[in-house]
Amino acid sequence: MSPVEYFHQKINVFSRRTKMNSIASAIVSGLALVLFAGAVGAAGSIEGEIETQPLNPVAIIMFLIFVAATLGISYWASRRTQTSQDFYTAGGEITGLQNGTAIAGDFMSAASFLGITGLMYLGGYDALVLAIGAFAGWPIMLFLLAKRVRNLGSFTFTDVVSMRLDRKPIRLVAIMGTIVVVLLYLIAQMVGAGKLIQLLFGLPYEVAVISVSILVLAYVTFGGMLATTWVQIVKAVLLLIGVTITAFLVMVQAGFSFDTLLLAATENHPQGRAILAPGVLFDDPIQIATIMVSMLFGVLGLPHILMRLFTVPTMQEAKKSAFYASIFMGYFYLTLIIIGFGSIMVVYNNPDFFDSNGKLFGGTNMVAIHLASAVGGDLLTGFMSAVTFATILAVVSGLTVSGAAAISHDLYAEVLCDGKPDPKKELNLTRITTIVIGVIAVFLGILFQNENVAFIATMPMVVAASVNFPILFFSLFWQGLTTRGAILGALVGLVSSVVLIVIGPQVWVSVLGFEEALFPYNYPALFTMPLAMITTWFFSVSDKSARAVIDRSNYHELLIRSEYGPDDGELAVAKH
Amino acid sequence: MDKNKIEAIRLKTRRRLLFTGITLVLYFSYVVLNYTSLGSFIRQPIGDSLITGSLVLFPSLIVIFIALEVLFLFLNSRGDSI
Repeated sequence: MSPVEYFHQKINVFSRRTKMNSIASAIVSGLALVLFAGAVGAAGSIEGEIETQPLNPVAIIMFLIFVAATLGISYWASRRTQTSQDFYTAGGEITGLQNGTAIAGDFMSAASFLGITGLMYLGGYDALVLAIGAFAGWPIMLFLLAKRVRNLGSFTFTDVVSMRLDRKPIRLVAIMGTIVVVLLYLIAQMVGAGKLIQLLFGLPYEVAVISVSILVLAYVTFGGMLATTWVQIVKAVLLLIGVTITAFLVMVQAGFSFDTLLLAATENHPQGRAILAPGVLFDDPIQIATIMVSMLFGVLGLPHILMRLFTVPTMQEAKKSAFYASIFMGYFYLTLIIIGFGSIMVVYNNPDFFDSNGKLFGGTNMVAIHLASAVGGDLLTGFMSAVTFATILAVVSGLTVSGAAAISHDLYAEVLCDGKPDPKKELNLTRITTIVIGVIAVFLGILFQNENVAFIATMPMVVAASVNFPILFFSLFWQGLTTRGAILGALVGLVSSVVLIVIGPQVWVSVLGFEEALFPYNYPALFTMPLAMITTWFFSVSDKSARAVIDRSNYHELLIRSEYGPDDGELAVAKH
Repeated sequence: MDKNKIEAIRLKTRRRLLFTGITLVLYFSYVVLNYTSLGSFIRQPIGDSLITGSLVLFPSLIVIFIALEVLFLFLNSRGDSI
């Protein structure tokens, strides 16, 4: 059987499974890839035994150059990181353009590049739902949150939600939401990172995980958010350059005709013209809606993303950050249309990328790298491989800063020290926490190395959408919110998210081995987010306590500060 | 003074919610048009080309979202301090 015949057969089997509504694993893999840079371990094709690629010296050299440059950045940043504020938010000195690039870098990951391209290779148009899902959160971030969050907080989103409510209990709930999201995200990252690096560079899994952790610790412990942001900026720019060159070279091969590109792709793919419209991979609108809700509202509740709004000096720059992030991400996802269909045109019939059994080297997640190789040779392949590694380092760095801030700022400084910590102790604790998170990341990465982590990769977005977003939204836009309502709503959001994920197909069937899932969808945010919001509303409107009166009366001043900024006077509500 | 501020904030809040609502409607139109029978027309090729309405929908939504952001920023920067 020729490689192409083998793959055609594979696609047909895949399509039949799809029609039987058994596409959960493909969706999970794709979403995990899109949302969790480096979480390629979540993708079926990089689970289990890893087939390493031949060592690419260009990739190694480019990777070493990147590491040297980013360590230089960390050294520079370490000289400017003297206080906790420097550590958490880069001293608030990042410009809107820089911050927007860094934010885009968090999403415009090499994993998006690999994951969406891989899914397009399998089923064409359907993969783009993941791109639109990751993109659409950003306009709403600008319209609803950017300015108000920036004006109200100082370091984390927990600062915002605790402003008008009873500080300690609501902080504890928000810290719990942050830690759950960061840890789950981190597991997916580390397992994916280990397997991806094993695949790209031929390193043993444990060495790959430990290398990632050591580099991240070097960036974050010494350079804090400043180093993390610049590492992310460098990576984002490199990735944009990489996808632009790849898309350009694909269009050269297609004679700069989009029709020619699509024609060649449809002629190569067994599904023919069906790949140009939805329905090959996904056909259940509810399933699609669950993914889209999880992605959009998950983006709006991710603590390490919200934290980036505080790295800029003013709310105008915060708004610019969200806008520039949209521009870069929009451009990136548009190029993926060319790259996705280009991969079908260029790689599908190319025997160079299939082994003797007709299996694509590295699985479908490596299609983008194969495409780079086909159109740009070793140089572009090496470049894209190095950028992929860079992505993992950058995202894990951001998560580490966010986790460290939750412990040292939200818990230690604000809860245990009542907002009056010793600055030196706080900074030292932040650095210690960073190291502890790094060690935990290595431990979890090795512990989960043989597990199917796709379900873990789904949780952070669902939890962020069901726990963090409702509290944040209500605290900014609804006077009636009370501490009791916020806490109960968050707990219901958290418990319902975890329970529905566990009894859903990805855990109940794929991990626990039961015949049929008790709940049919992998991404329950479509149900758990409204449930959390209704719970918050109900227990707030029915709250007749003295604390509820204070919570409601605090809203007026919070509202003014959220629009006019902290310079409009000290916020009295913060003292309650 | 606070009364004027609150009134201005109400206007801003309505604008925020309006833009958010438009974005959400457009966002979920992607599901309705692509994955239900209501949008069967959009899945067809346009004219003699291979490009389907669905393929046009994707970049159009991205461009519209960015245009909405530009409009939002423009309206916010026009004539008021918040």
